[in-house]
Amino acid sequence: MQTKFISREQKRHDKKGERLSSQFYTVGKPAPRKDAIPKVTGQEKFTTDVVVPGMLYGRVLRSPYPHARVKRIDTSKAEAMGAVCITFEETPKIKYNERIVSIPSATFKDRTVLTGKPLHVGEPIAAVAAETEEKAEKALKLIEVEYEPLEAVFDPIVAMKPGKPNLHDHIIIEDKVVEIKNNIAAKLEIAEGDVEKGFQEADIVIEREAKLGRPYHAQLETKSAVCVPEPNGGVTIWTTTQTIHNCRILIGEIFGIPLNKVCVKKVALGGSFGSSIQMNTILPICVALALKAKKPVKLVSTREEDMYDHCRYSMIIKYKLGAKKDGRLVAGQMDVVVDIGAHNIQAYPLIGCMAGWLVDLYKIPHIKYSAKAVYTNKAPACAMQGFGNPQVNFIAQTMMNEIAEKLGLDPIEVELKNYVGLGDVFWGQGPTVRSVIRSCGVEELIKKGSEMIGWRNRGRPEEKKGDIVRGIGMARGFHTSGAGGPLPGEAVDFSGAMIKINEDGTVDVIASLQDMGGGALEAGLRIVAETLGVPLDCVELAPTDTCTSVYDVCLHATRGVYVGGGTLKKVAEQVRQKLLEYASRILGTYPQYLKIRPDEKRKQGIIYAEGISGKEITIREVAATARNKNWGTIAAVDSLRQAQCPPAYTVYFLEVEVNKRTGEVRPVRAVVGADCGTVIDPIYAVAQIHGSFYRGLSYALYEDTRYNRKTGELTNKGFLSGYNILKAPDMPNPDDVQVFFASTYEETGPFGAKGIGEAAINPVPAVVANAIYNAIGVWIRQTPITPERVLKALKEKGGE
Amino acid sequence: MEERKIRLKVNGKDCELSVKPNELLLNVLRNKLGLTGTKYGCGTGDCGACTVLINNEPRLSCLTLAVTVDGAEITTVEGLATNGKLHPIQEAFVKHGAIQCGFCIPGIVIMAKGLLDINPNPTVEEIKEALKGHLCRCTGYINIIKAIKAAALEMSKG
Repeated sequence: MQTKFISREQKRHDKKGERLSSQFYTVGKPAPRKDAIPKVTGQEKFTTDVVVPGMLYGRVLRSPYPHARVKRIDTSKAEAMGAVCITFEETPKIKYNERIVSIPSATFKDRTVLTGKPLHVGEPIAAVAAETEEKAEKALKLIEVEYEPLEAVFDPIVAMKPGKPNLHDHIIIEDKVVEIKNNIAAKLEIAEGDVEKGFQEADIVIEREAKLGRPYHAQLETKSAVCVPEPNGGVTIWTTTQTIHNCRILIGEIFGIPLNKVCVKKVALGGSFGSSIQMNTILPICVALALKAKKPVKLVSTREEDMYDHCRYSMIIKYKLGAKKDGRLVAGQMDVVVDIGAHNIQAYPLIGCMAGWLVDLYKIPHIKYSAKAVYTNKAPACAMQGFGNPQVNFIAQTMMNEIAEKLGLDPIEVELKNYVGLGDVFWGQGPTVRSVIRSCGVEELIKKGSEMIGWRNRGRPEEKKGDIVRGIGMARGFHTSGAGGPLPGEAVDFSGAMIKINEDGTVDVIASLQDMGGGALEAGLRIVAETLGVPLDCVELAPTDTCTSVYDVCLHATRGVYVGGGTLKKVAEQVRQKLLEYASRILGTYPQYLKIRPDEKRKQGIIYAEGISGKEITIREVAATARNKNWGTIAAVDSLRQAQCPPAYTVYFLEVEVNKRTGEVRPVRAVVGADCGTVIDPIYAVAQIHGSFYRGLSYALYEDTRYNRKTGELTNKGFLSGYNILKAPDMPNPDDVQVFFASTYEETGPFGAKGIGEAAINPVPAVVANAIYNAIGVWIRQTPITPERVLKALKEKGGE
Repeated sequence: MEERKIRLKVNGKDCELSVKPNELLLNVLRNKLGLTGTKYGCGTGDCGACTVLINNEPRLSCLTLAVTVDGAEITTVEGLATNGKLHPIQEAFVKHGAIQCGFCIPGIVIMAKGLLDINPNPTVEEIKEALKGHLCRCTGYINIIKAIKAAALEMSKG
């Protein structure tokens, strides 16, 4: 199914990359990030730090039942004590989907601001606002609710059976009512080639099942919002979000407010990892409270509330894989059941993306994929770093290792025979977003990484004696850079920005793209500085809101640098042209002969005509002249749709120590190779990998949200205390985590760059399982890989 | 509930406050003194985002009633830089890329100050152990450990 579209061009790109990188002023050079000082001194303002004079504090009344109908609700006592109350009876009934990254026909709307039919413990029923948090809490307790508990389902397989309660009778897609049967929220089937024929041709066929857990994002800042009702009938909002513009569109739609009266301000985000790809549930509640109170309202989720609000998609994946004796894959059949929880935030894009992650990993001539996303009475699952990719990677990469073992081949050899790379078609965001791969560092990463870890000396599991044994595993992954492509596709993907030169030669960057902390915008500033030829010191991110910025869809899909940075480069190039034109008027030369270089000492960009002495002027002088002579502001505003979605690649080599008596697994050493094209920010590209490695280890070994099947509550009741998570002492030492980069150049990206973030987590669960196999000779395909599961697997192996 | 008067020395400044007996130090710092650098992360002492120094010891302000620290000296993240100059720990966090979203950083920087005050040259293992009570979801702790090591070295030079 994969066809080579380009070949032998990689060398040219590499050469181009090398030539350019030596000329970079700012790109690729280490420099502290701009927001580091406010963050390290406690001055950075997050939503939770926003204070507005006269504001009330909101609290939310949440369902204690996993499935119920509210028969009666009475807020009179709470109102009598002076609290402002809202219930599901009076808030807008319009059904919405909080994530509008997909186009309307791919956006499934199944929820309202508040509900009288809660579908999970913690679902909001009513809310109050009062002058103090204490008073709001008291008021909350005075609301009387009579529930009719309904039968709940927690297992997606059970939920699909006839006779089980339907969580949603119908949902809305565009303006059409769509019936939901057997709790199946979305399904997808894709086939290419003839999978039966493929399996017949195979020399070896294995069939396995993986179960992947349901981690909670555990971002440090709980979901929060502040809303100020404005005299013009509009609202001003600060909120935890990956997309200020989509929050604005949704609030406008739900409350019927014209968008030019909905101002969502960009504010620092205390981590997210996907959990704010959607408008958070508390935001429309906060808006409804503020509109009723006619006063500003602040609503901050407690940690317990937050843990009932979002998590990663858990799933069961069955995979049948057939290969020839030489390790070449011939057929694959994957069947997926996803447990999406109570609401369909993005199950349809998820199962589409997963089909993509499957075909993007290996070239398999005959392939069949089917997926069902199923409602259950649990917290709604949403995007979390990797978006289905770590899950597919986990089963596929562990099975490839198993096939290699069974065939007596080196897993590396099998990888190199089958991987999707240069010239192949890549599905960046499911079947509708595809482009051709133009840069690929997989071979380089595998070869170098395997030498660094000592791959050939890793030994075989049966040779390892004693209770505490070590093993080395390898896994390879990738992720898209954005959701762009030559055709429109089902995902909206473009960004926009405004850049202007101030009268002193400094630069304002107005970009609605959010930064989750990974440094996407810090990289963006380097790209602007490089394009304009000014020192990084001259470039600052301006305070931004939806009224004064142009649209960006959302920070997701590892698109920050590639799409956001690409947009900033495009706009900065337009500013540069204007600068050169104005400078040429002053210098009496032609703009095409002018160049710009940063002068760090003078803190200015210097425009000069190469080789002609005296023909030189600072950007400050140009900008000041433009003002004094009434030429206008040197500025540009534009949008960019990237017509590609290049994959960033990562290869992990991990050494673990397994205690066969206790079942404990300890990661001890890692070598990580990454291909993100040109490295824009060397410190934070490495830091992204560190963080992703950590979260991947925690996903693989520790994290899961479990439910009490009787009460529908989380077994930890939403407390972080009862949630297993990897802590600092369990991480390998800093010197034992080595990161290196491929020498690739992505010709379609800004200065040759593509993304990195999600690529860096995707192979981590698989590499853990592969390393465990190398240590103790058993495959564990259920996350988290707890000591109990290790011991159980060892026991089963012993019983064979 | 009746409010009580307490005296605190916060970041070197004396202040007298009226607080309720059930009021948490975290909320007093954030809401009454406007020191929002100290963060709420969990309210159960699991994440360490609310860490402040109470009489030079790192403590969790989300589990501390303000009335119980009457007369104490409190240092928050806002009190580390002196005369506009970053503390060497802060410098090291900036230089070594230890800061991503930054929400956990005030608590971790304060903990590091407490650690280096009693153990000026900690091993990697000791730093990791000290970080046990802190949740950072962005960094994998690697650059944080490097930064604390580097700060210790810098501070030992006097």
